Amino acid sequence: MSQILEPRNVIAAGTAGTRDEAIREAGALLVDSGAVSDDYVASMFEREASVSTFMGNGLAIPHGTNDAKESILRSALSLVRYDDPIDWNGQPVRFAVAIAGLNNEHLEILSKIAIVFSDEDEVQKLIDAGSAEEIFAILEEVNAE
Amino acid sequence: MTTTSSAVKRPGTRVHVQRFGTFLSGMIMPNIAAFIAWGLITAFFIPTGWTPNETIAAMVGPMIIYLLPLLIANTGGRMIYGTRGGVVGTIATMGVIVGSEIPMFIGAMIVGPLSAYLLKKLDGLWAGKVKPGFEMLIDNYSAGILGALLALGAFFGIAPLVTGFSSVLESGVNWLVTNNLLPLASVLVEPGKILFLNNAINHGVFTPIGVQQVAESGKSLLFLIEANPGPGLGILLAFTFFGVGLAKASAPGAIVIQFLGGIHEIYFPYVLMKPMLILAAIGGGMTGVAINIAFQTGLRAPASPGSIFAVLIQTSSDSYVGVILSVIGAATVSFLIAAVILRASRKRDLEDLAEGDDELAAAVARTEANKGKSSALLGGLAGAGAAASTRPIHNIVFACDAGMGSSAMGASVLRNKIKKAGIEGVTVVNQSIANLDGSADLVITHQDLTDRARGKSPDSVHLSVDNFMNSPKYDEVVSMLESQKNEGVIS
Repeated sequence: MSQILEPRNVIAAGTAGTRDEAIREAGALLVDSGAVSDDYVASMFEREASVSTFMGNGLAIPHGTNDAKESILRSALSLVRYDDPIDWNGQPVRFAVAIAGLNNEHLEILSKIAIVFSDEDEVQKLIDAGSAEEIFAILEEVNAE
Repeated sequence: MTTTSSAVKRPGTRVHVQRFGTFLSGMIMPNIAAFIAWGLITAFFIPTGWTPNETIAAMVGPMIIYLLPLLIANTGGRMIYGTRGGVVGTIATMGVIVGSEIPMFIGAMIVGPLSAYLLKKLDGLWAGKVKPGFEMLIDNYSAGILGALLALGAFFGIAPLVTGFSSVLESGVNWLVTNNLLPLASVLVEPGKILFLNNAINHGVFTPIGVQQVAESGKSLLFLIEANPGPGLGILLAFTFFGVGLAKASAPGAIVIQFLGGIHEIYFPYVLMKPMLILAAIGGGMTGVAINIAFQTGLRAPASPGSIFAVLIQTSSDSYVGVILSVIGAATVSFLIAAVILRASRKRDLEDLAEGDDELAAAVARTEANKGKSSALLGGLAGAGAAASTRPIHNIVFACDAGMGSSAMGASVLRNKIKKAGIEGVTVVNQSIANLDGSADLVITHQDLTDRARGKSPDSVHLSVDNFMNSPKYDEVVSMLESQKNEGVIS
C-alpha cells in the first residue's frame, strides 16, 4: 500500500503569503505526485468559497468538493508549514494540509493529524520542529486508535 | 414560569389522555406521506381506478398489508427507544401481520412501541456491564433474539385478538342490518373503518346483502353506509380550517385522494390521532344513512372505491337527489362536529406543538442541573426541535460537503475524547451531507452547513461548530453522553 502522506509532500517552510497561494502550493504537491488532476485544485477553490476549511488551532485543510472526487487518481495528503501566519478568511493559519481522499483510505493519517492539532501543546511542537522530517515524525507517532 | 409549575402539579387522567393522543399522532403523522403515496397508486391503478393497470396495482396489497403498518411500528418503536427500538418493533409487527388476514394497523400501533419498551427494559439489565468491544455483538443479538420471540408472541397472541375483534364487529353490523336498525350501524361501521377494517365490513356484510336487495328492488342504500365519502370529507375539511401544524397543512391534499379518489384510508390517521373525532364520523355516517332512508334512495352496485364519482355512477336513476343530499348532509354534520372538537382542543394542541420544545427544555434543564453548569450545547439542543426530545444519543455523525476533510477530522477528535472519557456504545462517523440518511441521533456540522444537514436529516439533533479542532462543544457532548449513561444505569 502506498503511503497517503509521503515525506516528500511535507514542506517545513512554505513560500505562499496569501490563502489562495497556499491552496495552490499545497494543491500543486498533490498534482506533482500524480494524485490528482489540475481540475481538483480548481475545485479546492470552489470548496473554499462555499465554506472555509479553517479548522482551528492554526490548521486549514483545503480539499475539493464532493463532485470533484472523479479528479482524484489516488488518495494523498500534503502538508505545508508557514513561518508567518497566513490570513485564512480572517483566521491565522500556520499549517495547510491539502486532502484528496478516496474510499476513506486517508482517514488513518488524517485522524492522526486531527488528534495532534486538537492539542495545543502538540501544535506548538509542530511549530517548533526544525525540519520536515521532524514534523513527519510527530504526526507518525500519534496513536490514533 | 408560573404556568409551568401549575402544569406540573396538574394530576392525572386528562394529561395522560392528552399524552396518549400526542403519542398516537407522533406515530402516524411522520408516515402520512406513505399513506398519500399508497392512496395515489391505489386511486390510479386499481381495476376500478382512474387508469387501471393490473401490473402496477400489484403494489397496492403489499403496501397496505406490510409497508404502512411496518412504518407505523417502526416510528412507534423509535419514539420509545431510538433506532434499535424501531427495528425490534418492526420485527415483532411482522408477527401480527402474517398472523392475520386483515390490515394490521391496531396491531402495529400496539406491538411496535411495546416491543421497543421491552427491549429498553432488557438492555437495562446489563447496561454498563458489557465488556468493552462486545457491545455491538450483545446489542445485535439481544435485539435479534427478542425480536424473533416477540414476532412469535404477536403471531399467536395478538393477531387472533384483532381478527376476533374484527369478526365481532362484522356480526354486530350484520345483526343491525337484519333488524332494520340501519342508522345505528354507523356506530359500529365508523370505528371499524378507522381501524382499517372497512373492507372487511363492506365486502363481508354490505355487499352480499346489498346485492340481494338490488335483485329485489333495483337499488340498495347499504352500498352507501361505508362508501359514503361525506363523513371523511367533513373531518378533513375541519382539519383544513381548524387543525394545527402538519395535520392542517396536509388535509387539503388528503381531500383530493379521499373524496375524488375514493381512498378513504387517507383520513383514518387524522381520526386516530384525535380519537374524539370518531363522534364526527359516526354523526356524519348516521346522517347519510338517515337521509337515504327518508328519500328511499340507494345505489345499483357497490361504489368501489368510495369516491364521489363512483358513487354518482352507481346511483340509481331515481335516487340522485337523495344520494347527493346524503353525501352533502354527512359531510356537513361531520364537519360541524369535528370543527367543535378541533376548536375546543385547539389551544391545547397549539400548546402541545410548542410543548414539544418545552419538554425538551425541561429535559435539558434537568441535565444541566445534574452537571451543575449551564451549557451552550444543551441550549443548542433545546432549540433543535421536538423530535429530538426523548432520543438517546448512540450514533453521532460529522457531516461536511465531501465527507472527506473537516468532518473526518472532527470525528477523529471527538472519538478520541469519548474514548478517553471511557464512554462505550457511542459511534462517531463522518459522512458527506448528501449521504445523511436520517438515522443519526446527533449530526455535527460547520455552522454554515447546519441548515443543509437539517434538511437531509430532520429528526436528528443538530449541532453547529465553527472550529473542528478544539471546539468547547466537544467537551459538552462528552459530558452529555456521560450523564445520559448515568441516567440509563439508574432507570
